[in-house]
Amino acid sequence: MSLFLQLFTLGLVGMLFTCILYVLFGQLTVRKLRKNPNMKGRLGVEFVSGFDILNVASALSAPQWLRDRISRSTLSYLAPDYQALYENTTLFDRIFARVFWGISTVSTSFMLLLVILDKIGVFD
Amino acid sequence: MSEILLCSQPLSASQLQNTCGISMDALAGLACSSPGTLQAYTPYLMGENTFADRHILTQLNPMPVAKELTHLSLSFGEDNVLALSEITKKLQEYNIGLMGAATSVYTDRIGGFAGAVKNYQDALMEYRAAIKSKSATKALARQKAHAAFERLQIQFQHELNAVTAKIKSNRGTPLTSSQRATNIARSSRNVARLNVTSQVQASDLVRFAKHASFLGNGLAVIDFTSRVGNIHNSYQAGEKWERELFIESSSFALSAYTGLKVAEVGLVLLLAATPAGWVGLILGGALVAGAAAGASMGMNYLVKEHSGDAYDLIMTSLNIR
Repeated sequence: MSLFLQLFTLGLVGMLFTCILYVLFGQLTVRKLRKNPNMKGRLGVEFVSGFDILNVASALSAPQWLRDRISRSTLSYLAPDYQALYENTTLFDRIFARVFWGISTVSTSFMLLLVILDKIGVFD
Repeated sequence: MSEILLCSQPLSASQLQNTCGISMDALAGLACSSPGTLQAYTPYLMGENTFADRHILTQLNPMPVAKELTHLSLSFGEDNVLALSEITKKLQEYNIGLMGAATSVYTDRIGGFAGAVKNYQDALMEYRAAIKSKSATKALARQKAHAAFERLQIQFQHELNAVTAKIKSNRGTPLTSSQRATNIARSSRNVARLNVTSQVQASDLVRFAKHASFLGNGLAVIDFTSRVGNIHNSYQAGEKWERELFIESSSFALSAYTGLKVAEVGLVLLLAATPAGWVGLILGGALVAGAAAGASMGMNYLVKEHSGDAYDLIMTSLNIR
């Protein structure tokens, strides 16, 4: 059994777990926000349906300086409204958002790293 | 490679002969037979009829796909009908990356802008109606109109600037001042001047947005039907179809998710890189969409290539079979 296959399986399981968290976060937190009239039009841009789930998770996990930076941008209407998000979520939602966003970022970048390493032939 | 014919309305044999100069005998439907009349939004094969062609026809046959393709080919030219049948194979690789390409964000935004202008207009008309009937809800309606104006200003600043830049008026227009709008609504006998929507020269954009939405989720339908086809083939061949199901569904889910994730991170980078503005959005958006498509394709390739082995590894370590 090669090292690559072990790493790949690890990443695959991580990504599948991420997908499960994605659906859970969408159902538990974002669905609640979508129904909330105060949050109408404040969940950020939606490239494809379901994109707002990632928007919300990343807005709730972003550090203060990044939030300030984003709110000064001329394109800030593309991002969710953090203040409104904060007021309409519970502590559980915010912790869940960070857990989901953390796991998702780690596993996706791990898999993308594998894609790149595989492409340049490290495992051949 | 034979040609595929699609139409947006039913055609009889004589109509087809008269308008396109095509004889009905040259066509074949899904059941390989020559059709009596052409149905709307149904693909037909023209010319030779090989197994590969029929496979493509099966993929194109589901209503949403065929409808999308018909609209696409009608709006982008008939030549593309042939090209589309070849492109479908390649489209599977793109997934979300391509869907998320600038068109969607544009569609969403323009649609939202038109909606906000319409809400504002409705609120103004309500205010006018309240004044005419001397209703007690006058103040409330006035407040509602102001609120709709505020929302329009905050969310669609850039579009409003583009639209009102050409308008020269000292007193302002309903689009630049809600005071002016409510004044007109109260005093003017001629309500036509209040038609905010006609002042918005965004109709071209809205029309474009409608075209752009032909792309979009339809691609996922094409992608997933072809993947289901692979699973079905493996089932019929008596292979381990569960393994194939695992490969196809994990590669679909993971490449789609990767596209989303890369687009999302790219968006944050784009937002952090001030001052971007519209030009930044278009250039940066193209970069982000490209990166998302690339990452999604890379992930699809990697997962398709190796997830079968990973499936075996997981199964043996869990002691199943």
